Amino acid sequence: MKKLLSRIVIRLPLILWAIAVIYPILWMFIGAFKSNAEIYANPWGLPHVFNFQNFSQAWNDYNIDTSVFNSLIVTVVGALLTLIMAIPTAYALERIVFKGNRFLFTLYISAMMIPTVLGWIPLFFLLMQLNLLDNIFGLSIVYAVSQLPFSIFVLTSFMGTIPKALEESAAMDGLSPYGVLWKIITPLSMTGIITVTIMNAIQFWNEYFMALIFLQSEENYTLALAIDYISNEAEYTNAWGTLFASLAIAIIPVIVLYAIFQRRISKGMTEGAIKG
Amino acid sequence: MEQAMLRRKFDTERTGYKSQCSREQIYKAEKGDTMVQSKKQKYLFLAFCLVPTMIMFSIFTLYPLFNGLYYSLFSWSGSSSAAEFTGMNNYVKLFNDSIIPRTIFHDYFLVVTKVFGIMILATFFAVALTQLRIKEAPFYRIVFFFPNIMSVVVIGILWSFIYNPSLGLINSGLELVGLDSWTRPWLGSEDWALPSLVLPSVWAGIGLFMLMLMGGISNVSKSYYEAAEIDGATEWQQFWKVTLPLIWPQIKISILYIVITTLNGSFIIVQVMTGGGPNNATHVMGSYLYQQAFQQYNFGYGATIGVMILILSLITVLIMQFFMKREKVEY
Repeated sequence: MKKLLSRIVIRLPLILWAIAVIYPILWMFIGAFKSNAEIYANPWGLPHVFNFQNFSQAWNDYNIDTSVFNSLIVTVVGALLTLIMAIPTAYALERIVFKGNRFLFTLYISAMMIPTVLGWIPLFFLLMQLNLLDNIFGLSIVYAVSQLPFSIFVLTSFMGTIPKALEESAAMDGLSPYGVLWKIITPLSMTGIITVTIMNAIQFWNEYFMALIFLQSEENYTLALAIDYISNEAEYTNAWGTLFASLAIAIIPVIVLYAIFQRRISKGMTEGAIKG
Repeated sequence: MEQAMLRRKFDTERTGYKSQCSREQIYKAEKGDTMVQSKKQKYLFLAFCLVPTMIMFSIFTLYPLFNGLYYSLFSWSGSSSAAEFTGMNNYVKLFNDSIIPRTIFHDYFLVVTKVFGIMILATFFAVALTQLRIKEAPFYRIVFFFPNIMSVVVIGILWSFIYNPSLGLINSGLELVGLDSWTRPWLGSEDWALPSLVLPSVWAGIGLFMLMLMGGISNVSKSYYEAAEIDGATEWQQFWKVTLPLIWPQIKISILYIVITTLNGSFIIVQVMTGGGPNNATHVMGSYLYQQAFQQYNFGYGATIGVMILILSLITVLIMQFFMKREKVEY
């Protein structure tokens, strides 16, 4: 009896916190299917009829389609650019002995701890001069560089686990260092590359503040900016249903990725935090 | 400058391509020419690996940071001709700006409340999920972590609704249990807006630190607990005397990480949920920088605030590392 009681006491906080996490997210999805009148009459309950009107309104009247497209471009281009820059550097830092190796690694890693806000003001003018302000490709470059330290950090630790003998024998067989990097190291560190790419993609898809600073015109808005815009508008238009629908559109890809790569994502983030 | 340093490094470099290259060199030692060539090739390869990335990193991360320090000495409204060197004027303005001490206080308020809120709950959940064989533990682990990968925009808007004065869950809940007098416009109240921001931050952050602590706990050998049990230690004593000292490294890293990410990023949730209002009651340093630089076009002053953020967060991290020096316990 006492044991049963203590089990319930221990579980109660767990259950409560689980509800606190799930309920608001679930409620957001439910709200996306409610009409405005229903949201006012019964804000936290189930809808009487599921209508998809909010989604079509968000998609058509609030240009969410353009923002989804922009977010996709920024995410894909940003993630690819990060890999192109991070893989060779991670390999050189992990496997090649040269003076300054340690210094360079520390330089990249310490950039993870330094507040980047200060850099955003000069970056704004730099992008302006390069004609990359208010440009989703400019934003992709900024995103890619911002995730470089994290990516290099995770990739070096993955590459460290590849046996050196493989590269040595490949080099003996006459494979150039470029060949070793491309044909041996890259395929063998695929686990790390996938982990890093998923983390970066989620980061870029979700990112808000740099987009707020570096994008200006509505046709370039990423999803986060579009949602923020709808949210500010909703105070006057009361288009809450539309807002929920766009929130749902933003979160569904993240849920799907999390469902598939749950272990990788939580492991990647935990290790990034612990060793960083 | 960065590139020049790198190039000099390549030129003076003498060491080999780790074991692989040295073997190659012995192999090719008979032909003296090829050795020189292979060394040249090594530097070419090294440059291929490092230089393009370093150039991008220098342009988009290092240069802006240093340039930010430089900008803080100017009075500048954005148009290139109007930049006027004003020396320390921006810093004088910073010390006389009555909003600045408030933003600093708000930042550290969030740091302290988040550290306590997250660490207490995360430690409790981590211990519960590892020590007390709960069958559905993976479910809790997966659910608790999910908010960590949600966009701050989504979190902020969702919680703005929870706090909504008329529709929100909190006020409706309070009315339901008869505490009508406790209802208030949470985010619209000067006294309650800032504390209201703590809950979403804790909600969004707990999963990561719970996992970090769980990693630490699962590394603690079972024999310590067996020994403690033989000595008659209660579960509570086991927690204080065994678990806590042994996962101290993880706790230390978690606290540091919360402090750093809060000082460097708390302004995002502030911007989404309150925009610094009402009446500056929730402005943190970062959101004030955004307002000064990108809404009022005081770019020079904005950069000065940025320098302040940089210095304060460096000092904070140094002080914390000094005070948390307690080394890992070995039994």
